[in-house]
Amino acid sequence: MAEPLTDTAAQPGAGATGGKTSVPSRPWLFAGVRLLGLLARRSLLLAVLLATLFVAVELLPGDAAMATSERGESAADIAERRALLGLDRPVTERFGDWMTGLPTGDLGTSARGEPVADLLSRPFPNTLLLGGLALLVTLLASLALGGWAALRPGGMTDRAVSGGATAVLALPEFVVGVALVLVFAQWLEWLPAVTLADSGGAPASWQMLVLPVVALSIPQIGWNTRIVRAALADEAEAPHVETAVLDGLPSHRVLLHHVLPGALPAIAAGLATSTGMLLGGAVVVETIFNYPGLGAVLAGAVTDRDSPVVAGVVAVTGAVITGVLLLADLVRAWASGGRL
Amino acid sequence: MTTAPPTCRTRPGWGTLLRTLPALLLVLLAVAGPWPAPHAIDAPITAPYAEAGDGAPLGGDQLGRDVWTRLLAGGRELIATSLVVAVLVTATAAVLGTVAALRPGIGRVIDRAADVLMLLPPVLGILLVALSWPAGGRLALVSAAYVLGVPYAVRLVAAAAAPVVASGYVEAATAGGERLSHLVVREVLPNLRATLLALFGLRFVAAVYVVATAGFLQVGPQPPAADWALMIRENAGGILLNPWAVLAPSIAIGLLAMSVNLAASALAPHGGRKAVTPL
Repeated sequence: MAEPLTDTAAQPGAGATGGKTSVPSRPWLFAGVRLLGLLARRSLLLAVLLATLFVAVELLPGDAAMATSERGESAADIAERRALLGLDRPVTERFGDWMTGLPTGDLGTSARGEPVADLLSRPFPNTLLLGGLALLVTLLASLALGGWAALRPGGMTDRAVSGGATAVLALPEFVVGVALVLVFAQWLEWLPAVTLADSGGAPASWQMLVLPVVALSIPQIGWNTRIVRAALADEAEAPHVETAVLDGLPSHRVLLHHVLPGALPAIAAGLATSTGMLLGGAVVVETIFNYPGLGAVLAGAVTDRDSPVVAGVVAVTGAVITGVLLLADLVRAWASGGRL
Repeated sequence: MTTAPPTCRTRPGWGTLLRTLPALLLVLLAVAGPWPAPHAIDAPITAPYAEAGDGAPLGGDQLGRDVWTRLLAGGRELIATSLVVAVLVTATAAVLGTVAALRPGIGRVIDRAADVLMLLPPVLGILLVALSWPAGGRLALVSAAYVLGVPYAVRLVAAAAAPVVASGYVEAATAGGERLSHLVVREVLPNLRATLLALFGLRFVAAVYVVATAGFLQVGPQPPAADWALMIRENAGGILLNPWAVLAPSIAIGLLAMSVNLAASALAPHGGRKAVTPL
């Protein structure tokens, strides 16, 4: 489920923009300092998450050496592999190694002894492509639907769009995916049901992306349409909007030029929270469509009970989400007048 | 305690009942489902992926087991696990959220925790816990869903509790030297009934999502258990031969998610309009 907006980054103060006409060089300095501050804050949160996860995985019973053990393997064999994977070293030492390796792109070693970064380097761009396209579709569709509903508050369109959005937002992506495969691949035979990879490991044609992207987007469109609709309704009560309406401007013009700019921060924050859902959903949807992304790696990791690989996937998705949240911070700063 | 704050002034009417009814019916059906099931869930009675026919109204699955029987049996564990998660998260959030509203220092800590968890997609978090704790089974699933769900729920309760805490009678009770536990249980929580009911509905929706997704990723119930999400995963290969083996559990999960969500939004207090709908 998508979660409430949790953005607590500092609101840009009016003072930062006040001096921009008199001293042209200062705003950039302010903006730069604030950008660094946001970056540091977001990076710190990511580091705390990764540290928490490492400790959690450590405290839970079972480790990679045990998990990959085969039937009839002796305790000595397991101990040997544990030494090979470095699991016999002190926790603090391994933790230090893992955390200091992260910025250099070293994500540790999988239970089978391969570097996790190598395992993820080919499928990760594919998952980013899938998630990025789904985010784009979500943005366009929810802006269109939310705006359409907001133009006639309380009317049939509004109720239909809001009701439809509420209905789909809780659907698990794999249920949507199965329905799409049945309708568009099996019965109508319009689109391929499985994704084939070309020699470079990327999806072989764009048609293969359509169904996974749609399956991933539908619940998030439901979620974001409601956010767009509500943000527009909130902004519509602002005095300057009332003035624009009294001036007799056409409603679509009021919506685009007077309501939407003020609603942008809430919309950006909503989309940013959707990023996590999109990346989490992507690994599920990939399983249905046999898409060559992180989902395939994760599915293998589930079979092998390979938690270092999952930790690596969490680290890279956490980094992506951090980046998107930072973008939402920038939209908020920009929309509220601070030129970043 | 005589004046309720405006956020709680929702009286469940016929409309609310009508919108919660589908969810209640579906939950009852799924819980009672295993009893009228005609066959054993793990007994092969048809050919693999047999089409619908005599004795198997929805055909057979990949091992020739009766899809209808497994459909009837497959919802109970999903719903029970989701209910447990929703109850635990709501109860914890009710107490912690009220405390956070009364004690701003604790509130800040919880806010930071929610900020951190925002970087972790729930599906990945549950995978990580389930894999690191292979013997945990359903307990691992419930613990992960619980830990991942609490911070947001606490934040929601804290936001709803803030106006109650600021109201005169709580201030009077605080000034009167009442203990924190008394303030939480006797003064604030009774005024948050509507919010908590809605929160419970939303956490149930969220729990159905993560528990079903975990089942689909095969970190929840293990074969040969009958579970809607697991059925979809297992039978995806035979979708051409017997679509019902995949379609029936998909419809079941879809209906469950939608009807529970409908009920949750019917229960939500219709207070001031907010830019963000709580979920």
